[in-house]
Amino acid sequence: MGAQSFQELILRLSDFWSEEGCVIQQPYDLELGAGTMHPDTFLRVLGPEPWRVAYVQPSRRPADARYGENPFRLGKHYQMQVILKPSPKEVQDLYLRSLEALGIDLAVHDLRFEEDNWEAPTLGAWGVGWQVMLDGMEITQFTYFQQCGGLDLEPISAEITYGLERITMFLGLSRSVYEIDWVADGVEYGQVRHQDEVEFSKYYFEIADVEFLRQRFDGHEREAKRCLEAGLVLPAYECALKCSHLFNVLDSRGAVSVTERVALIKRVRNLAVACAQEYVASRERLGYPLLGGEAVVDG
Amino acid sequence: MGELFLEVRSEEIPARMLRPAIREAGTRLFEELLARGLTPGEVATGFTPRRLVLTLNGIPARESDREEESIGPPASVGFDDDGKPTAAARGFAKKCGVEPDDLRVVTTPKGDYLATTVKTEGRSAEKVLSDLIPRILGDLSWAKSMRWGTAEGPWVRPVHGLVVLYEGKVVPCDLFGVPAGDRTTGHPVHSPDSFAIKNNADYRRQMAERGIEVRFDERRARLLEGMKQASAELEGELVDDPELLDKLASICGIPGVVMGSFDPKYLDLPREVLTASLRDHQSALTVESAGKLLPCFLTVMDRQDDPKGRVQAGNEWVVEARLDDGRFFYGEDRKKPLSDRREALSHLVFHVQLGTYADKAERIIKLTESLCEVLGWDEKLAAAQEAAGLLKVDLTTEMVKEFTSLQGVMGGVYAREDGHPEEVWQAIYDQYQPVSADDSIPRTRAGMATAIADRVDTLVGMFGLGLVPSGSRDPFGLRRAAQGLVRIVLEADLPLDLDLVAALAARLYGERIEKGGEEILITLRPFLHDRIRHLAGLQGYAYDTIEAGLAAGSSNLPDLFARIDAIHQVREEPAFLSVALAAKRIANIVKDSPEYEVALQLLREPAERDLHEAAESHRTIVREAEAAGEYERCLRQIADLAEVLDKFFVEVLVMDENPDLKKNRIALLQSIQRMISRTARLTEVVVDKSEHRERSATQQ
Repeated sequence: MGAQSFQELILRLSDFWSEEGCVIQQPYDLELGAGTMHPDTFLRVLGPEPWRVAYVQPSRRPADARYGENPFRLGKHYQMQVILKPSPKEVQDLYLRSLEALGIDLAVHDLRFEEDNWEAPTLGAWGVGWQVMLDGMEITQFTYFQQCGGLDLEPISAEITYGLERITMFLGLSRSVYEIDWVADGVEYGQVRHQDEVEFSKYYFEIADVEFLRQRFDGHEREAKRCLEAGLVLPAYECALKCSHLFNVLDSRGAVSVTERVALIKRVRNLAVACAQEYVASRERLGYPLLGGEAVVDG
Repeated sequence: MGELFLEVRSEEIPARMLRPAIREAGTRLFEELLARGLTPGEVATGFTPRRLVLTLNGIPARESDREEESIGPPASVGFDDDGKPTAAARGFAKKCGVEPDDLRVVTTPKGDYLATTVKTEGRSAEKVLSDLIPRILGDLSWAKSMRWGTAEGPWVRPVHGLVVLYEGKVVPCDLFGVPAGDRTTGHPVHSPDSFAIKNNADYRRQMAERGIEVRFDERRARLLEGMKQASAELEGELVDDPELLDKLASICGIPGVVMGSFDPKYLDLPREVLTASLRDHQSALTVESAGKLLPCFLTVMDRQDDPKGRVQAGNEWVVEARLDDGRFFYGEDRKKPLSDRREALSHLVFHVQLGTYADKAERIIKLTESLCEVLGWDEKLAAAQEAAGLLKVDLTTEMVKEFTSLQGVMGGVYAREDGHPEEVWQAIYDQYQPVSADDSIPRTRAGMATAIADRVDTLVGMFGLGLVPSGSRDPFGLRRAAQGLVRIVLEADLPLDLDLVAALAARLYGERIEKGGEEILITLRPFLHDRIRHLAGLQGYAYDTIEAGLAAGSSNLPDLFARIDAIHQVREEPAFLSVALAAKRIANIVKDSPEYEVALQLLREPAERDLHEAAESHRTIVREAEAAGEYERCLRQIADLAEVLDKFFVEVLVMDENPDLKKNRIALLQSIQRMISRTARLTEVVVDKSEHRERSATQQ
């Protein structure tokens, strides 16, 4: 029996990846543009320590907001993000089995991996991989991370990002994201999220106070640098994340000119790169707790 | 003699990289085997997204044996006073596997040394292959490669399996730790179990049982056949798209066809929009009947059938969503006519220093006016300028933001719907033509004028800022722009002086660029010449013929090509070749000399008088023929001087002791050089002397 609802999809994927030894993490409690920006991906893929994690991350893309009127586009959507470090040899097989766990009978579908490389200039990160197409529909981004924060990665992590709304829509061949069942034969996605889409669209495009956003951007940037000077990489990274989201809102508000755009991206990138470098150093100082063998020293 | 069968299995290799990779692997393996005397017979290749397959048959069982001379220590330390071999000599002999008696002394530029002949027995084919194959496969040049796991690689994608069989036996080797064996697998979902294979024929048979066709051409042919059949069932015809079909045949191993339909209401969209949406988003081809699209599409599935109809239903669902998006964008765009969007161009930057697209439109309008004037196209001026003003407006539409492949085309469609005259909307529609070698040039004169103006404006602006493409770096697509420009002018046979047009374009930039027209041409002219070389080469002209034509320095392309063609017509004729040889001689003799005047009274020898008279009698015809553009006649006149020129060089010594005679003979040759350099620079023509002698001998 296939997954019948949005939440069943989340539960089944969480169960599946839990069985595969993943830490089931929770969404990061800040506004993020993608699951990749969660520190459990962006920072954990750095350095030699092994890591397996899965979590749902609400992902905010202010520019994609459509006042709740477009049946396919959302200002916030949900991703199921999986990181396997190092990437196991059978990672594609694992992925196929995860689809089967959702009740997708691959024997009657057409599944293809089409080249799609990923690059995030604001994170100094890129990877190589595919968009996974099920019957002509993109359902997953599959990436082997090569660089993060400007640093070459070793070992390499595999990142699997499921588009949860899309898969649910596709399984039911629904005509609108707002009509999918969040709970099977119960609450619909629109009943949970429609007001959210309408209000945030209005906020992003019409209401957001540009001057206030700029002040916050500057303030969080200053704070990130202060944290880095104090050797506090995780608080510094949070500030960088806030800058990144503020930039996205400013951009959707139409407040960023072409030249300023380049400058702002560079400022976010500089913070992300500094955090990545500092994180690597901090893990080394801690003796790479996840490498095993040694107990974690509580400083 | 034996067959080598090779298969590498990996995770999905990007479609665009498959063909270059298998070609490179096949060529390199063939060449390396050839170099070792293991010359293969035929090479057969195949691939699917998850495997590269190579078969080379007729490979000999052993390399040829080799004999090499090995040089040892100096002869002076090789023998003791009694003439017996020293320890050094015995050590050298032992290293080479011979007795000290087999050593001999050889004389080299550095002195005398001990030497011996070392025989190396050729290795078995199996040994050679086990060394070669991992090296060649591991070194393939990928457009983008990656690492995986604990940083294994780099390769294009993680490697999962390797089959290497020579005469049916496994050749021991490995690729990134994956050992060679004799087992492979089928489709990851439909036939994942592994099975043993014996050779290529067995492999192909067992793959076919699983529906997999590894030969690309065969797979593509079957896909096309399947699509034509499906189109016939729909009572329509497939709208062919060879490029898309190449892509579809590259992303599957099993060439299954999915047929889908969509709501006919979407047929209200312009055909271009439907086609682009299906092609760019869904990699789907369209079907037409009586020139009209049917509400259907065809694409590929990597499986043989669709038992539950899920594949079709899924693809239809996505297509409807896409077409719905397309209809939304189209509706947004149609809220106001194209001409009302012109204002938006002033917010769209063409280049920071070169201004916005509004500035560019202003320049194109003016340059179009000059072009129409030069070409005598007064009656087209109004249409061309109207088109020029609207040319780039579609860059501000939702549709072009979504489908960049529709730029130009979309503007043309909207202009047509807005009721602009045919000449105008077609000019906008065709502005980026020709893109590929098969494309035709813009249909109308207004289209040609605006397309030329747009490209010259871009080229002059970018070159004016020193943004000259180098190597593979060409971010502004200047090569394509130049190629299109040259083709339009040539194929429409337009008597345009490109130097002049470029100078006009440079002036229109005013203070935005510092360089003047002439300065820009220093780099732009050779750049255009490269495109001309390429095009002329494609038409089958020899490279030296092209150089001789280019060196005549004409910036009028049809004229330039007429010169190249004239050389091509006469260049096999002995008299012409003889003059070409003489031209080189003359160029050498006069190269550092100032210009002199011929004094008749100093022409002493009969041969020099004959040459002078012949030159005088031909000069007028040569000039007339050249002025009339009759270059072949002109060159034949010049070739007519062959005999007197030959005689002159046999009988007359130019470098005479008498300085006055010498000067006069140089003056005579200078006058000849001026004359024969008309039409083309003959010194560029490569003449094989022995061949030339032979040819003139047989003709005499």
